[in-house]
Amino acid sequence: MRATLRAVIAAALAFGVCGAFADTIKIGLVSEITGPNAEAGSYTINGARLAAEQINKKGGILGKQVELVIEDNQSTNPGTVLAFSKLGGNTDIPAIIGPIRSTQVQAASPTIAKAGIPVMIGGTDPSLTHVNNPWVFRCRPNDSFSSKVIANFGVNTLKLKKWAIVHSTDAFGSGGQKALTEALKVYGVEPVLTQGYTNNSQDFTPVVLAIKKSGADVIGTYMTNSQDLGIFAKQLRQLGVTATWIGSPSIVTDTAMKLAGEALHGTYGIADFNPDANAEAKAYAQAYSAKYHLQPDVYSSWAFDALNVIAQAINTAKSTRPDDIRKAILGLRNWKGVEGTYNFDENGDGLRGYNIVKNEGGKIVYVKHISSPK
Amino acid sequence: MEALANNLQVLFQGLALGSIYALVSLGFVLIIRATNVVNFAQGDFAMLGAYIMVACLTGAGAPYWLAFVLALLAMAAFGLLFNFGVYYPLRHRSFLPVLISTLGASIFMQNTVLAIFGAQPRAMEKVLNFDGLHVGGVFLDSQYLVILAVTMVMVAFQYFFFEHTLVGKKLQATSQDKDMARLLGIPVALMIAITFLYSATLGGLAGVLVGPILFVSIGMGSIIALKAFAATIIGGFGDVKGAIVGGLFIGVVESFAAYYISVPYKDAYAFLMLFLVLIFRPQGFFGEKVSEKA
Repeated sequence: MRATLRAVIAAALAFGVCGAFADTIKIGLVSEITGPNAEAGSYTINGARLAAEQINKKGGILGKQVELVIEDNQSTNPGTVLAFSKLGGNTDIPAIIGPIRSTQVQAASPTIAKAGIPVMIGGTDPSLTHVNNPWVFRCRPNDSFSSKVIANFGVNTLKLKKWAIVHSTDAFGSGGQKALTEALKVYGVEPVLTQGYTNNSQDFTPVVLAIKKSGADVIGTYMTNSQDLGIFAKQLRQLGVTATWIGSPSIVTDTAMKLAGEALHGTYGIADFNPDANAEAKAYAQAYSAKYHLQPDVYSSWAFDALNVIAQAINTAKSTRPDDIRKAILGLRNWKGVEGTYNFDENGDGLRGYNIVKNEGGKIVYVKHISSPK
Repeated sequence: MEALANNLQVLFQGLALGSIYALVSLGFVLIIRATNVVNFAQGDFAMLGAYIMVACLTGAGAPYWLAFVLALLAMAAFGLLFNFGVYYPLRHRSFLPVLISTLGASIFMQNTVLAIFGAQPRAMEKVLNFDGLHVGGVFLDSQYLVILAVTMVMVAFQYFFFEHTLVGKKLQATSQDKDMARLLGIPVALMIAITFLYSATLGGLAGVLVGPILFVSIGMGSIIALKAFAATIIGGFGDVKGAIVGGLFIGVVESFAAYYISVPYKDAYAFLMLFLVLIFRPQGFFGEKVSEKA
């Protein structure tokens, strides 16, 4: 009887010890598994999984294997808040990779601040890292840089001065519109048209007619959904608008190009990720295509970098305390990722440069890299 | 001259989108008349039809016309399945359980399609192999022309079917008074099954037609259904003429309001119209006042 009891206690203790010193390190990932953006979400998960696999092959983080804890946010803001409170409440998780949608990050920001652990984000609305939330780190250049690069390329390289801005009215789109207007002001350019639309518009005729009427020779866009982009692109060409088009990164995603087809030929886009931009990107593109039989795009590449930044920071800090990780992330200097060279500023912005690419007959061609000073 | 062309362009787009709302709204109305229930999966019939067509085209490599026919046949079969799985077991219950049942079916359909096809939206070819016509500064998208033509044909067909065939008259009798119809020897359960079959096919048709323009995605049905539902109410809850007029009305109003007032509020106009109609003519354009209903 006594022996049995002792054995039970020993077993219980052993389990307890195992629980406390688990041989994996858990990193949270909030992504879109269901809902309208589930497609992009699956790419994000692909990118993070590839990073985890490579990190684990190299010995893991602090000698432990990385394990991703993935929470679905249902492509919605409330879903995102819920997912963050779930992951933030788990004390085994020292850092989280958040969503790529600005509006979702915005909604979850208070929850992130409360959880008090580093969260890597892909949303590019500039304000996300400027709301006194020390726990948000961005693994993509933000829209104040994207708009500076769009304005710089359009005005300086293409010499175009009559701008129309078309944007989604969500956080990403209106953030981009404001930033592009500011960036153009530097060159003394006032847009001839600023036109918003809500996501999932079925018809862009009024937008296209407004562009036609404005006589713009260049269109700068911040569009969120690839369906919207596809419909707009087709109607733009159908109604005979021939203005040059420089779009935010969504214009060069695989999906948008498949949906819009010829209507996007000849357009320019900015891409924080391009497989030809640097050696890291080349290696990543190769590994990604080999593993998933898909072309890598920005939805996956930023998540790949995000997990690698977390791994690097924890290894440097030799600690999983949130404060130590935060300091280590801010301390990274000229850290080479697939999206570019990371130097985090005090706001948590890691990147400042973009690649300009052109859609030539359905192929994405690298044009140039424009890096923006702070 | 250019202003006229622009207005005609906006009118054309409005009528074309309105036709799609009308097709989906017709499906709503038929089921409301037969069962007194709003079928929340009506929009997903469109989504499912479009995905079946995509599967036939890209998966099985079927020629376009065959894929088109197969998609409609599959939707007809699905309508029957829907009737027996979603409506029939609850036919003696009140309005609410059936409503929730269709809502559940909608979520189930969306997630099943998501699991099978993945979340990436698909492109689809147009029915006619040219992009469209330029007529005096107005661009007429070939697919929208097809949509307008098909809607007119469907309206004519529906009129003929309901007014001039025995099955149609039996369907009408069933929708007016189930008990009386039963007493007269009309198989009520069969009539309701036929209604679901027809509504699902109609929804599928809307999806297959709109796929080349709005692309085929999981959410495509819900976006259309919301407007179509507003059209159903504006037209007069359960009125066939009302569904068509309501659909076209919403399409044209939102198109012009977006052009003249503001694009970001486009979706709001449909519901603003809904509010106005509910306030000033609660029975809708063609609806009877409830007190007058036999």
